[in-house]
Amino acid sequence: MYKLLLCLRYLRTRYLAFVCIVSVLLGVATLIVVNSVMSGFSNKLKDRLHGILSDVRIETDSSGGFPESPETIEQNILNSPVGSHVEAMSPNIETFALIQYTVRDSYGNKITQTKQVRLVGIDPAKQAKVGGFSEYLIRQKNSPNPSFDLTDEAKWRLKQNISMANDDPFDFPRIPQLPPPASEKFGGFLINPIIVANPGDAGPLPPPVMTADAPARLPGAILGYSMGHYQYVDPDTKISEERKILMPGDEVFIATVGASGTKPVSATFIISDFFKSEMSEYDSSFVYVPLEDLQRIRGMDNHVNAVQIRLKPGSRDDNVFVHKTFVPAVQKIMPKPQSTVQSWQQQQGPLLSAIDTERGLLNVLLFLIIGVAGFGVLAIFSMIVSEKYRDIGVMKSLGASSTGIMGIFVSYGLLLGVVGCGLGTVVGLLFTYRINEIEALLSGVTGQEIFDRKVYYFDKIPTNVEVLSVVLVNFGALSVCVVSSILPALRAARLHPVQALRFE
Amino acid sequence: MLVVDNLQKSYRRHAEQVQVLHGLNLTVESGEFLSIVGASGSGKSTLLHLMGALDAPDSGRISLDGKRIDNLRGRARDRLRSRTFGYVFQFYHLLPELHALDNVLMPAYIEASVLGWWGSRKEWRMRAMAMLDRVGLGHRWKHKPREMSGGEMQRAAVARALLMKPRMLLADEPTGNLDVETGESIVNLLKELNAEEQLTVVMVTHNLELARGTDRIVRMSGGRVVEDEKPAILHHRLLSAVG
Repeated sequence: MYKLLLCLRYLRTRYLAFVCIVSVLLGVATLIVVNSVMSGFSNKLKDRLHGILSDVRIETDSSGGFPESPETIEQNILNSPVGSHVEAMSPNIETFALIQYTVRDSYGNKITQTKQVRLVGIDPAKQAKVGGFSEYLIRQKNSPNPSFDLTDEAKWRLKQNISMANDDPFDFPRIPQLPPPASEKFGGFLINPIIVANPGDAGPLPPPVMTADAPARLPGAILGYSMGHYQYVDPDTKISEERKILMPGDEVFIATVGASGTKPVSATFIISDFFKSEMSEYDSSFVYVPLEDLQRIRGMDNHVNAVQIRLKPGSRDDNVFVHKTFVPAVQKIMPKPQSTVQSWQQQQGPLLSAIDTERGLLNVLLFLIIGVAGFGVLAIFSMIVSEKYRDIGVMKSLGASSTGIMGIFVSYGLLLGVVGCGLGTVVGLLFTYRINEIEALLSGVTGQEIFDRKVYYFDKIPTNVEVLSVVLVNFGALSVCVVSSILPALRAARLHPVQALRFE
Repeated sequence: MLVVDNLQKSYRRHAEQVQVLHGLNLTVESGEFLSIVGASGSGKSTLLHLMGALDAPDSGRISLDGKRIDNLRGRARDRLRSRTFGYVFQFYHLLPELHALDNVLMPAYIEASVLGWWGSRKEWRMRAMAMLDRVGLGHRWKHKPREMSGGEMQRAAVARALLMKPRMLLADEPTGNLDVETGESIVNLLKELNAEEQLTVVMVTHNLELARGTDRIVRMSGGRVVEDEKPAILHHRLLSAVG
């Protein structure tokens, strides 16, 4: 009973102990906040990666794509022993390309911009079934059947663009048209659309005809959001606002390599939508175009170089099944080295492991705060034991055992830890739940944006409180407090009552 | 009856071994009030600590009612300190964080577990209040040591020593830090307890005047008992030697 009584009294009367409590509080709160934010980032990143990449992906490095047609590949997979686990498949072509478009600066001058992009040929309806593709679209958000079709508004803008180009004697002739087939000749970027010819054709396609009427089917393209938008910061007010560079209905010129050899091919596409995954890398480099158009441009006939597979809900979440059963089974159907079968985690392995490593390192570094708190407990307890020499002697003379005396200080350490951890958990959780308000407040006070939304395009700082992580942080902090109190407690326990009573 | 037989005790002071007690023999009868006098360094306090099982002798034996207590270890020794002996120190040694009542209750807190305390707390508190009343501090039970005078603190220390109803009260210069009048009142309190409760009291003191009121005076010198007389005889002889 005396251990509890003295612990509580020491807690109330020894103000120095509050230093320990504050240290533990700060350490625990910091760890909870950092872990929650890291976990939030990690989860959001994984969700997006998973959404974009689907569950399993088969790809080939062959420029002509798989030798089999996508239908054959799909059928082979469905007929395999793991076929019953497949929910949907989407054949793709993925390749690097250059995109070029013309924008006007604030003085109305035309500026032609060229960027390196990842060009992905997809069937949008199928793509929407294998991942979270449609949820990242701006205009067709969450549409079950997204397409590359232009809206009336986009068509009107296209007409306007064509009219303006016709009125401008210095403008390049421009007209949207279905992409031409691949050619051994390369027409160059300055001619739009490129005049190319199929190997077996008699000659190049006829030159474009200028008209204000758009063709019946326009070759649409879905661009990463940050290719068509940028953040403008007013130099006077420092207020940033989003400005558009490109809009649906604007045309872009895309050049890539053909399937046979490294011959460049190109075509003009009309922007039909934007893709905003809030992943900087994807939003600044992904360009989706219709699969059939890309096959035609690259001369791939009915071939693809990637197939994305969506698994059924039960199988998708079973990592062991995916990695030990499904992936090897599909790899058997699509043998190496021509094909590589990987889960989305394997594809993003380095990035995911980098996040985990970063999180682990941060935990270790931040746990040093609690380590410092532990040394605080050690130092302060040593002082308290020295100060309490005579009291310890009195208690021993009254019948307190050595283990009992040790118990006072270990319990005191535990109590400080419990109070520090409890308060730290409350502060950490409150901070985590209010982190966006706190960030806004700090940004307002300092005049500097603490969390730059341009980096990740997150509207707010993502957080995810993991109960296990909170428990582990608390357990670690409590252990540090208890371990740190053991040494002074042992010193107190070993005190001889006579020496303690004579201590001046 | 407590019997001290051929007790030897030495301390290591720096690099030197200092022999404090040289084969000391003493018998303390139940219910008597014994005072131990002697010059500083004569071994009075050391003897008291050994008798109260606060320290262990190098050799010799201490028996209480025929049972050796000098070789007790662990829980048995702690229980002996808690239940058989009550201690009063020169500097009171009250715990500064606790008020008078909690200080008096400390031996009970040490004995009881948390659950055990919950069941018997009312009884203990009543007994502690009775002890405080007995030493004249019933009205100061809420006061912390820093709010009390030296005499009051020593009274509270006596109440604490009596809480567990010990068989023997060991007082190490209980008046050493008090003025004459307050010291006398403390010794009178001990006398009353000795007379009324049949409590054996062993008091170490420098003050011959105070020792005169006890049943027996033992004078120590050089770690030995040099005189063991009734107070009137020894007091007269000591005063003659001084005078």
